[in-house]
Amino acid sequence: MQTTAAAPSTAVPAIEVTDLRRSYGDFEAVRGIPFEVRPGEVFALLGVNGAGKTSALEVLEGLAAPGGGSVRIHGADPVRDRTAVRSRMGMLLQSSGLPGDLTVAETVRSWAGTLSAPRDADEAIAQVGLTGRADVRVRSLSGGERRRLDLALAVLGRPDVVVLDEPTTGLDPESRRQVWRLVQDMVDGGAAVVLTTHHLEEAEELADRVAILKAGRIVLSGTQEEIAETQPAVVRFTLDAGTPQPPVPTAVQVVSTGPRYEWHTRALQPVLAELLAWAAEHGVVLRYLQATAASLEQAFLAVAEGRVGEAA
Amino acid sequence: MSAAPTTRPTTQERTDMTTTTATRPTGPSRPARLRAAAGAEARLLVRNRTAVFNSVLMPLLLVAAVPALGIGGGEVGLGPTLLTAAVVISLVYLTYYNLVTTYVARREDLVLQRMRTGELSDGEVLAATAVPTLLVTVGQLVVVTAGVVALGEWSAPVQPLLVVVGVLAGLVLMVLLAIASTGFTRTAESAQITTLPIVLVSSALSGMFFPLSTLPEWLSGIARFLPVTPVVDLLHLGFSGTTWEGEPIGDVSVWTWAVFPAGVLVAWIVVAAVLARRGFRWAPRR
Repeated sequence: MQTTAAAPSTAVPAIEVTDLRRSYGDFEAVRGIPFEVRPGEVFALLGVNGAGKTSALEVLEGLAAPGGGSVRIHGADPVRDRTAVRSRMGMLLQSSGLPGDLTVAETVRSWAGTLSAPRDADEAIAQVGLTGRADVRVRSLSGGERRRLDLALAVLGRPDVVVLDEPTTGLDPESRRQVWRLVQDMVDGGAAVVLTTHHLEEAEELADRVAILKAGRIVLSGTQEEIAETQPAVVRFTLDAGTPQPPVPTAVQVVSTGPRYEWHTRALQPVLAELLAWAAEHGVVLRYLQATAASLEQAFLAVAEGRVGEAA
Repeated sequence: MSAAPTTRPTTQERTDMTTTTATRPTGPSRPARLRAAAGAEARLLVRNRTAVFNSVLMPLLLVAAVPALGIGGGEVGLGPTLLTAAVVISLVYLTYYNLVTTYVARREDLVLQRMRTGELSDGEVLAATAVPTLLVTVGQLVVVTAGVVALGEWSAPVQPLLVVVGVLAGLVLMVLLAIASTGFTRTAESAQITTLPIVLVSSALSGMFFPLSTLPEWLSGIARFLPVTPVVDLLHLGFSGTTWEGEPIGDVSVWTWAVFPAGVLVAWIVVAAVLARRGFRWAPRR
């Protein structure tokens, strides 16, 4: 994480999205979103279902034309310059089909035959942990195995721009780690990756930068730390009955008081120091004391619940 | 299927690829990548028993039934009748029907949408799906031709070019009509109904099973403008130099007679192409 975050900020973006819009009839699913992804960088689009993530990705993938704004992949238009763009781009759709009557190996080999610079088929199969299943028909694979095969196809052409729409939804924890390793390998090789996910831990594990989407707009974006910083830290503790009330420090927003206290603050350390000093001075026991720095998850929930971004 | 290169690019190559497009290998030629995708589709066809029966056995059985049904013969002769029947049956029951069900099944299984995520163009995706069916169609015609020769019923076409044009234009029309028909076909099963206008009506009124002159004038007038009829007309003209009425005509005027069916065929190809462009969807309706 820390190493990839240091991707040179001067590098030319591999993906440039400007004021992207997309509508279905009267419904505007994507309402003017901008972002850039540089080589060696992972950008995660987060948001609840219907926030516009897939609609935006379909334009990046060149499967739909934008209603407004533009998308450039290495400076080229994914629809108009499809041939040039596709030879260096890999994509995994949120739901996509594989013919059930081909084996894993046949599926990978025939797909490789359509690509400019395919990886070795056996190696690609091994990388998603399907070596032992190479001669099994796709029909007989589990959902997770099918998803991993799908991913193997998505990156079979050695893409340097990768778009993954919910790559690990429905995968067990072990498969998910396998997918993460694969993504990390590609990023280390210089690929620019955009992904959507429902799993915040996935974004935390992989993403250098994150944007949280709501109703077609980016409500929050930045590094995980930057996004987390938009939210207050939380201090929780419980006081026994009869204990005096602690003085409330100035930087605190009181969410609940005795016996179970919850304070929100943007100055966690001084607030905590003040609280502990008070407790020591009065011989008070702070039961279940908990101090939590702001997290990506907290920001995500704040956006989902409408506590952030209504003004935007 | 072409073999994939087995070597990984070196770090240097990798870096080059990320910086410029020019250093990307040019990759397989268009025919090679079409072959790779069509090869997978051919495997699927062979492994689908229903499709094998429908596309290999059914048409041959139908053609074999033609003499038993007492169709044709007489003026035109058994050989040309069998060949014309083979063309109509293969085009309608095999090319058209099989392609509608295949395209719809692949669309509903989200396979078409995934095939679009690679380097194949949209046209190549559609073509790759159609190639095995087209090859089986041609194979059927070869088998029937060989059978006709074996029966000693072969007679050289009066105007071979008309036969070839009729078959090729018919193939193009059926592919386009199949693509257009997917627009109003929700599932592979419902194709059994949505294909009836062509499979039942147009082929019955094509002049293949009975001469159109036996129909009331208004109906035969309509029949001449249906999509399969001009194919039969061109084949009759090409094989035996007779009109759809079975009347012999002079060699000079064969081309004059061909103008009308050829015009109807071209008009249908244009209409089908427009409908295909408008009606075709890559993904199921949400």
